[in-house]
Amino acid sequence: MTIEIRYTVLTPETGIQRSPGKFPPGAGALAPATSSFARRLDTLENKTIYLVDTGFGGGSKFMIELQKWFAEHMPNVKTIRKRKPGNVFMDDNNELWEEIKEKGDAVVFGVAG
Amino acid sequence: MVRNDPRAVALPFIYTPHPVIGLSAEALDKYIVGNDPHTGKSVIEEIIEVLTRPIEGRELPPDPEKLVNTGETQTVLGPDTEENLQQEFYTRGWTDGLPIILPTEERVQKMLTGTGADPDEVVGEFFRFDTGESIKFNVRHVAVVAVMAGARPEYFPVILAVASTKQSSLMPSTTAFGAMLVVNGPIRNEIGMNYGIGAFSPVNMANSVIGRAWTLLSICWGFARPRRTLWSSQGNNLLYNNMCAAENEESNVWEPFHVSKGFKPSDSAISIFRGWGYFNPPGTAAHRSVAEELNIQLAAMPPLNSSATIIVDPLVVKNLKENEGFKTRKDFCRWLSESIKIPAGQYWKTDHIDMLVAPMAYKGVEPYATWKKLPDDALIAPYHNPDNINIVVVGGETSPLWKATDYGYVTSAPIDKWRAKKSQVECTDGTCGLPDEPVQYDSSD
Repeated sequence: MTIEIRYTVLTPETGIQRSPGKFPPGAGALAPATSSFARRLDTLENKTIYLVDTGFGGGSKFMIELQKWFAEHMPNVKTIRKRKPGNVFMDDNNELWEEIKEKGDAVVFGVAG
Repeated sequence: MVRNDPRAVALPFIYTPHPVIGLSAEALDKYIVGNDPHTGKSVIEEIIEVLTRPIEGRELPPDPEKLVNTGETQTVLGPDTEENLQQEFYTRGWTDGLPIILPTEERVQKMLTGTGADPDEVVGEFFRFDTGESIKFNVRHVAVVAVMAGARPEYFPVILAVASTKQSSLMPSTTAFGAMLVVNGPIRNEIGMNYGIGAFSPVNMANSVIGRAWTLLSICWGFARPRRTLWSSQGNNLLYNNMCAAENEESNVWEPFHVSKGFKPSDSAISIFRGWGYFNPPGTAAHRSVAEELNIQLAAMPPLNSSATIIVDPLVVKNLKENEGFKTRKDFCRWLSESIKIPAGQYWKTDHIDMLVAPMAYKGVEPYATWKKLPDDALIAPYHNPDNINIVVVGGETSPLWKATDYGYVTSAPIDKWRAKKSQVECTDGTCGLPDEPVQYDSSD
């Protein structure tokens, strides 16, 4: 006769307390509510679009090609290429974003790896 | 991956095929006019549409206060068979796939005898980006995982010290981070850790189990959820036990590593390192000096923040001290820092340097700002800060070998605060615990 041993075990959820958390300082903030997004444009003609490279490898070359595409196919669109301030994961300052608010009409932001 | 980031839910995303990095201009042009793999629409048409289409109706970002995982916490499983429970632990994402020791109440209680800490004492707290939760974990939780890893109670203070750092060995990066766990101090010998022959080989219970316990903790803390918290494209099998070993203090002619971080030699402590590059050369230094060999190898790995960790056999340290004139660890690190040179162009064209160091150069942080202005062929000293070069001594003195890594030092933590409380009875003559002398009874004759 075979005896089958059965075990009752604790799980690794033992001793864990969950509670609502907050993003650590410097790890980014919540995305703005939809109502705070800039108003969309009716047309891109004669507008200034910032092409902002995140700093991830490949992003800068992608934006160069995107800029070429606009120059060739939509020459009335002015594009300005920039690299985001700070490292890829967080900002050092808001200078670029303030510049875009003042001088830009739209932003294309990317691209990761 | 950003689709899962609650901070980004409301943003309009357009996807190109992956990867973007390393492609020709022609390939990127095809991405731009080609289709978004998620929608099947042209990427450039989507860009234009997103910039000109009203955004009303887009989903709002969730409130982080309401992001708490609603999954029911289950602290007990069973009764069930060994086979079913092993499978259940794996299916729930609590193991590395290797068999575990099932954490019965009795086994967890026995593990808790390895520490004097209260089982309910909070060991650490961290934030989970994928669920928006703050996670606190106590001594009992760590004991459950220590049992799963196969630990003996005497290993438990070391595992608690690791847990107290709140560091995961698995990182939520698309790259393949590696980690290393080094133990210093008297506890190494007390629990039989290996710092000699084959210290990094799978032959020693304490090294194997303690290293694995760190990985199981990381898994149980939620750092192994593919496409939520685990993004490493290839992964890293060094993470099965995180290069766990002790330092060979007995044969090290320089000071022990933990002493260089402010501990006393009589303290026991763990130290954690993290990085990517791992150079494990087959040869030693028959035709060049050790210093010259390391110079060549480290020059191939442009460092972040001047960080390197070199794990050397005791024979190497003896040679460096006795034959190459480096009296202290600091002397050698200073020499490496000044001697290793690479062209500025090689440095700046290294992806992670461009991503993470170039922003400092743009901010004016030295020496990066100066290096950024140099011509590509100008030589720079990328290991400019000798304090960030770490030397750890491990090995059995069968060959003067080393492992050169780009690992940076993360942190150290004391072990002794987690030890079991000493017995109330002082045992100064060494007789405690020995059987009593045979008692002579009166004869009934």
